[in-house]
Amino acid sequence: MRLQQRTVRRNLVACMLVAAALMGIAVQPPSAASAPTVTNPPPQPKDWSALASLPDWSGVWTPNMTDQARRIKTDPVPWNKAAAAQIAKLEAAEQAGDPKGLFINCLPESMPSWMLITHNALEFLFTPGRVTILGESDGNRLRRIYTDGRGHPADPDPTFHGHSIGHWEGDTLVVDTVGILPETYIAVSEAVGIPNNGDLHVIEHIRLEKPDILRDDLEIIAPHVLTRPWKTSRFLFRQRAQKYDIVEGVCLQGNYSERKDAAGNAVFEPVPQTEGGNTLPPSH
Amino acid sequence: MKGSWFRIPMVLAALAVALPVAAHHSFAMFDFSKTMTVKGTVTEFRWTNPHVALLVQLDPQPGASPEVWSMELTSPGNLTRGGWTRHSFKPGDRIELVFNPLRDGRHGGAFDKATILGTGQVISSDLRAAEKPGLQ
Repeated sequence: MRLQQRTVRRNLVACMLVAAALMGIAVQPPSAASAPTVTNPPPQPKDWSALASLPDWSGVWTPNMTDQARRIKTDPVPWNKAAAAQIAKLEAAEQAGDPKGLFINCLPESMPSWMLITHNALEFLFTPGRVTILGESDGNRLRRIYTDGRGHPADPDPTFHGHSIGHWEGDTLVVDTVGILPETYIAVSEAVGIPNNGDLHVIEHIRLEKPDILRDDLEIIAPHVLTRPWKTSRFLFRQRAQKYDIVEGVCLQGNYSERKDAAGNAVFEPVPQTEGGNTLPPSH
Repeated sequence: MKGSWFRIPMVLAALAVALPVAAHHSFAMFDFSKTMTVKGTVTEFRWTNPHVALLVQLDPQPGASPEVWSMELTSPGNLTRGGWTRHSFKPGDRIELVFNPLRDGRHGGAFDKATILGTGQVISSDLRAAEKPGLQ
């Protein structure tokens, strides 16, 4: 009888483990339980109230493209020798009308190129313990900047936009970003830039320079492609008219046109494009 | 340029032309030293990111078959600041189109401006003029 009970119990445990595995529940070894769980505390009314004392960054912010182009000349990138040689080839190709599109695969412009060369608008959301930047295009263009006092993870999973922590120094948001994928570009245009190749670190000081002009002072530390940190600034201007609200921007949508299939369903159909990503008429 | 396009009036721009902007690719593949002016009929207006596209069937030269060309623009968000909507063009609109062609001769170009022939309305895309806050 006891043997039967043990067998039943053993089978029950086995069934539970199989069920847990099927349900995708991780069965952790006992040692994992000793690591402390860090939780995000629920915000209190005072945390929401504190947001009211932050500077007003509401509205839609569009980068000043003319200034972006100007800054490449006034704040030249300190490329190292190997990087400079690659950049020179890309610049020559662009000037010859054969640009090597860095972003035509529609992967995110990423950090730091989103801040450096984008032409699309963005917006800021302030919530307790966090500043979130939402952008147009790329489909998933956003940055989460933790302002709750946490540090960077010891070994962050590399991502397109990295791991950002921030704090306020007066009306300036200071942002520190690491954990960026080595493949993300340090770009000066859509056709000129090279991968950061790892160990990228970006420090930003973001503040209102004028009531409707936002300034982002960037320090880009990329030891594998730059000889020294690259310091440059970017400026955005604000719109409040509702018609300029940011719209959805799914980069890959541009590779398709809206059609009806044989059954009358509304479907996306690929459109012909050049190697450089330009759309062509259907006959091509 | 090929076929009937040899006869299309081509004007060398005397002044530097402000480059249109693109969200995800360069516009360097367009020849901004060449400005082409043609008449045609809109076949499709794709109001999509990252580049809006306007497809136009150009009026053929006598004896030639009609050709559709694709004009590229910046994003809907940016064009909205220039007063555009997804209804700015509709299929069937007769237009006079000004554009900068692809360098490789394929049937694509960078949109400069268009006049809707029925109304005389001119639609252009000058984002540099909208680089300021507080637009209404």
